[in-house]
Amino acid sequence: MPEASQQLFNYLIVGGLVFALGTIGFIVRRNLIVMFLCAEMMLQGVSISLVGWGRYHDRLGGQMLVLFMIAVAACEAGVALALIVMLYQKSGKLDVTFWQGVREEGRAAFVDRNVPRELDREDHWPRLTPAGIEPTLDEEAPLHRSRV
Amino acid sequence: MSGGGTWGLILLVTGLFLAIPHSTRRTRNAGGLLITAGIVSILYALPRFGPWFEQLVFWALALLTVGASAAAISMRSPVYAAIWFAVSLLGTAGLLVQQHAQFVGVATMVVYAGAIVVTFLFVVMLAQPEGHETHDRLSWGRLAKPASILAGGTLMALLGSACGAVLNGDIPRAGDGQSLLDDSSELARLGNELFSVHLLAVELVGTLLLVALVGAIALMIHGRERRATREVPDA
Repeated sequence: MPEASQQLFNYLIVGGLVFALGTIGFIVRRNLIVMFLCAEMMLQGVSISLVGWGRYHDRLGGQMLVLFMIAVAACEAGVALALIVMLYQKSGKLDVTFWQGVREEGRAAFVDRNVPRELDREDHWPRLTPAGIEPTLDEEAPLHRSRV
Repeated sequence: MSGGGTWGLILLVTGLFLAIPHSTRRTRNAGGLLITAGIVSILYALPRFGPWFEQLVFWALALLTVGASAAAISMRSPVYAAIWFAVSLLGTAGLLVQQHAQFVGVATMVVYAGAIVVTFLFVVMLAQPEGHETHDRLSWGRLAKPASILAGGTLMALLGSACGAVLNGDIPRAGDGQSLLDDSSELARLGNELFSVHLLAVELVGTLLLVALVGAIALMIHGRERRATREVPDA
């Protein structure tokens, strides 16, 4: 039946998009929690395509695999969040670049010195205007802080 | 992938480049528009299946899932990222239910959106009281972000072209697609299969959950002990 293969194709594309978005997020973001959310998002993409295959073959195997994936994801979430809380207690930061010096014993340190600093143009503190008009504030500026 | 799909992919990748942090407010809005346009044109280029209502529901759910995922990775605040991830989970659950996997859809909603995302929010509140951190506003270096987004876009294109074999009907089906449609005994069949064919795996997963629980507690205690012993020589 061609209709079934078209349906499977649609679900595979959606699952692949979610998986690739999770990959991009995992590589690009620096916040430990958001990186971990992105790993969960990749699992979601896989589960969409697994259920699609199960429907195509008319078997329950795909749904079974997704059920076990949910259980493993729950384990992963517990362990990873414990790890994140522990790392936060040690460093006071959720920034993954804080841990870039972690390595095996006896190996030379690889520290990426090109991690971007904050750009000056992002500090929009209110400036006094000579005309005595109330200055326009950037709404987000008061929320920004450079350290804990 | 067809022409519309390719253009949609290009729009999506450009939008992601504009929307992901290390950006100003204006480029973020433009990026959101481009992402939405890209997803819509990818979905529109997909082959139609089934009656129009089913097609419409699929489009809505897929737009919700993919759009919310894109929003989750481009939000600066981790709280918003977690909430958008929960929205994307709701869309995923809808897609699973549309594939006649009702139990798995509900389990996704309960376990992921109900438990995992809530735990995430707890940790976010523990670790990040207010405001935006520097590392939430910045991504990695100037070259790293375009390179990784390009790699992700290439991954999408590769997956799309690899799925083309499905459309040609090259892959033989194991069944005729009728037995899953019988909704009346869906849960009974699922339970039968789970506790007969996959019984050993169920036991193993139970053990795994226990091990993960013990491991999480051990991580916390161990981390604290190390910190305590490190502070002693300083004093």
